[in-house]
Amino acid sequence: MLKIAVMIKQVPDSQDITIDPVTKTLNRSQARNVVNPPDVNALEAALLLKDKEGGEITVITMGPPMADVALLECMGRGADKGILVTDRFFAGADTWPTSYTLASTADYLGGFDIIFCGEETTDSSTGHVGPGIAEFLGYQQATYVNKVEYEEPFFIAERDIEGATETLRIGKPAVVTITLNANAPRNPTLKKKIEAYKKGITIVANKDLKLDPACIGLKGSPTIVKDMKTVADPVKTPVKPGIEELDKVISVLVERGIVK
Amino acid sequence: MANFKENIKRINSSESISGRMPDYDAIVVGAGNAGSAAAITMASKGLNVLLVDRADPPGAKNLSGGVLWGNDLAEILPKWQTEAPLERFIDNKKIGFLTEKSSIVIDFKTEFFRDNKIAHSVLRAKFDPWMAKKAKEAGALVIPGITVESLAIEDRTVVGIKESGDTITANVVLLAEGVNPRLSIEAGLRKPLQDRELSVGVKEVIKLSAQKIEDRFNLTKESGMASEYIVGSLGNLNIGAFFYTNKESISLGIVSPMEELRRNGVTHTYDLIEKFKSHPSIAPLIEGGTTIEYGAHLIPEGGIDSVPQLYGNGYMLLGDAAGLAFSNGLVLQGMNYAIVSGIKAGEAVAEAKARNDFTAKSLAVYEQKLGSTYALKDLKTFKDIRKVTNNPKMYTVYPQLLEGILLETLWERGQPKKKTRDVIGEAASKLSVGKVKALTDLYGIYRRM
Amino acid sequence: MIDIKEKLGTIKYDVDKEYPHITVDDAICAKCPHHFCVMACPAQCYTLQNGKLLFNYEDCVECGTCSVACDQGSVTWHYPKAGKGVVYKQG
Repeated sequence: MLKIAVMIKQVPDSQDITIDPVTKTLNRSQARNVVNPPDVNALEAALLLKDKEGGEITVITMGPPMADVALLECMGRGADKGILVTDRFFAGADTWPTSYTLASTADYLGGFDIIFCGEETTDSSTGHVGPGIAEFLGYQQATYVNKVEYEEPFFIAERDIEGATETLRIGKPAVVTITLNANAPRNPTLKKKIEAYKKGITIVANKDLKLDPACIGLKGSPTIVKDMKTVADPVKTPVKPGIEELDKVISVLVERGIVK
Repeated sequence: MANFKENIKRINSSESISGRMPDYDAIVVGAGNAGSAAAITMASKGLNVLLVDRADPPGAKNLSGGVLWGNDLAEILPKWQTEAPLERFIDNKKIGFLTEKSSIVIDFKTEFFRDNKIAHSVLRAKFDPWMAKKAKEAGALVIPGITVESLAIEDRTVVGIKESGDTITANVVLLAEGVNPRLSIEAGLRKPLQDRELSVGVKEVIKLSAQKIEDRFNLTKESGMASEYIVGSLGNLNIGAFFYTNKESISLGIVSPMEELRRNGVTHTYDLIEKFKSHPSIAPLIEGGTTIEYGAHLIPEGGIDSVPQLYGNGYMLLGDAAGLAFSNGLVLQGMNYAIVSGIKAGEAVAEAKARNDFTAKSLAVYEQKLGSTYALKDLKTFKDIRKVTNNPKMYTVYPQLLEGILLETLWERGQPKKKTRDVIGEAASKLSVGKVKALTDLYGIYRRM
Repeated sequence: MIDIKEKLGTIKYDVDKEYPHITVDDAICAKCPHHFCVMACPAQCYTLQNGKLLFNYEDCVECGTCSVACDQGSVTWHYPKAGKGVVYKQG
């Protein structure tokens, strides 16, 4: 029985984000919120491990109260519990207090044998939080992993490096970060979704974690955004393959016997 | 219903669910206007309701022309006018013909519409999630992002729904699955869709600033315009079109009967909307606008003949899935019909629960209730309307006749004027339509409308 | 005139790469006397290439037109699963 955690984040769907043509800032007001895509792969890696070894999966997110649906979505896919770490003290955190708060939550929940994270989030792309959690907890870690198996008392993590696959053996407890498209995530099912919505999620606030307010949220964030520069739009190549080009492509494919 | 019986015989359920307490009083499939209205009605009465939609957020796959008449909605959500994400209230309705070079339009702008603000343009991807949220607030369990795979049927009774190998049971399953109701068809609860009962709707939402919209269409900050056209400018293809104003966009599109498209056989549906947009009377209205979303949807236009058996043991059909939409060439309505069917179905389930009887006999009250509303009455009153809307003369000959008359009477060409009687006669003979035949035809149209 | 491909680009899709919700039977399509699907489909999912019918489901808006347009029994039609497919922002 492995005790498994998956750390996820609710992010605006990158397909829905537009750039304001005047202010050049990101407009995410119309965006649908989704589970950060690599986190869905992290959850699937966790579910695959649970399928094989048994265990319990707790999905954890830090975010505003509306992030509860992201947890319910993960429970619909097969996670057992959802923990929403939410408190005004946690707001405005950069990756340092985020890692600290999530690590503290894992600790508060009694620790885990393995914690899965996505390789990075699509809305900030730092890749800091997974390794940060590992460091704060003093867990072993492996990043950019595709697949995790368990050979007691070790985890075997496979990671793609250029032109080869590297296999790591890491001790327990461990943090692994999973790459985008590492696996084909299973769909949520109606029954599991119903169970999730009925069961609901558990909220963890700072009155539970009792962290020093100076170390969390905006106050605990060492990062200061000094300046932002916008980059000129790349020149769009006016080449637009017409149906003639498509014909050529198809005839080449047919010639080579790739399509019939 | 022979089809249904055969189907039930073919279904061998591996484990019997009868004898077990059902999971829900009612399961509603589809969070459109009909499904959410039903869920709100039932949950408000304390019933245990599951509402499942295949889109996430619920309703995000729904599409319509976009004018909602809110009389029925007010019954279940009295604060809809202030709470719902609405676009503009319609106080200007236009109906007209388009010929190749002209548009002949009746422009009806009225304080009557303005007084109660009952018609609003809406965008469904914004409006429907709001209605689903209201269902949740009323106490229904709303599950988005799940496509129900099939109905669970036992002893000629619908007992639940199936998905990923699981069966979720209920006393009644309300099928509000839309115009292409796969579950109902596959279970034999209604016939497969046919050409004659369908139109293909193709739509664009075109972004235009509120200021431009208000200036261009002579509107205030909140008021809006809705127009419907009979398009006779596309050769032998007879189609309809619509044009509605939203807050900061235009919804426009074409409605092509499937029979017309098949008969024609050489025109892409997606080209038709471009032809409508480039009509000399439409193009200036959308000048400077950008298409922000394209979309398409089927529209049920079969009238009363296409309305299937509305209920049976453990199930009911609602809204578009039941063919409950109205079209007579001048008016195209579906959302209000969906909502009223949702409310009546919901009431019927509540009554059936009080009797603890969910057989066809007990659920028949749904049809009785619906029969006393405009929804079924309209479809019965206009049962022959397809003879009008299918009459090719409506699209070509009569608009051209009207155009000819207007040209003769309103266009000063420095020539002697003619009496109106002669103008009509000449215009008719030019179009080689006999006067007697035309009169009989027009009388037929008049009688059926 | 705006090209249909450009218009389809305005639609948001969450394509299910694992599961084509509509499939066609090539053998039946090869003998089809009319290929009405090509005209009827508002999303240009059906195209003819040197007389051969090509079908892609990625641009499908799930309207169901082809399920009716095809009277040859070639189209197997399902809705996508798990919220995948078209996601209207306006509707």
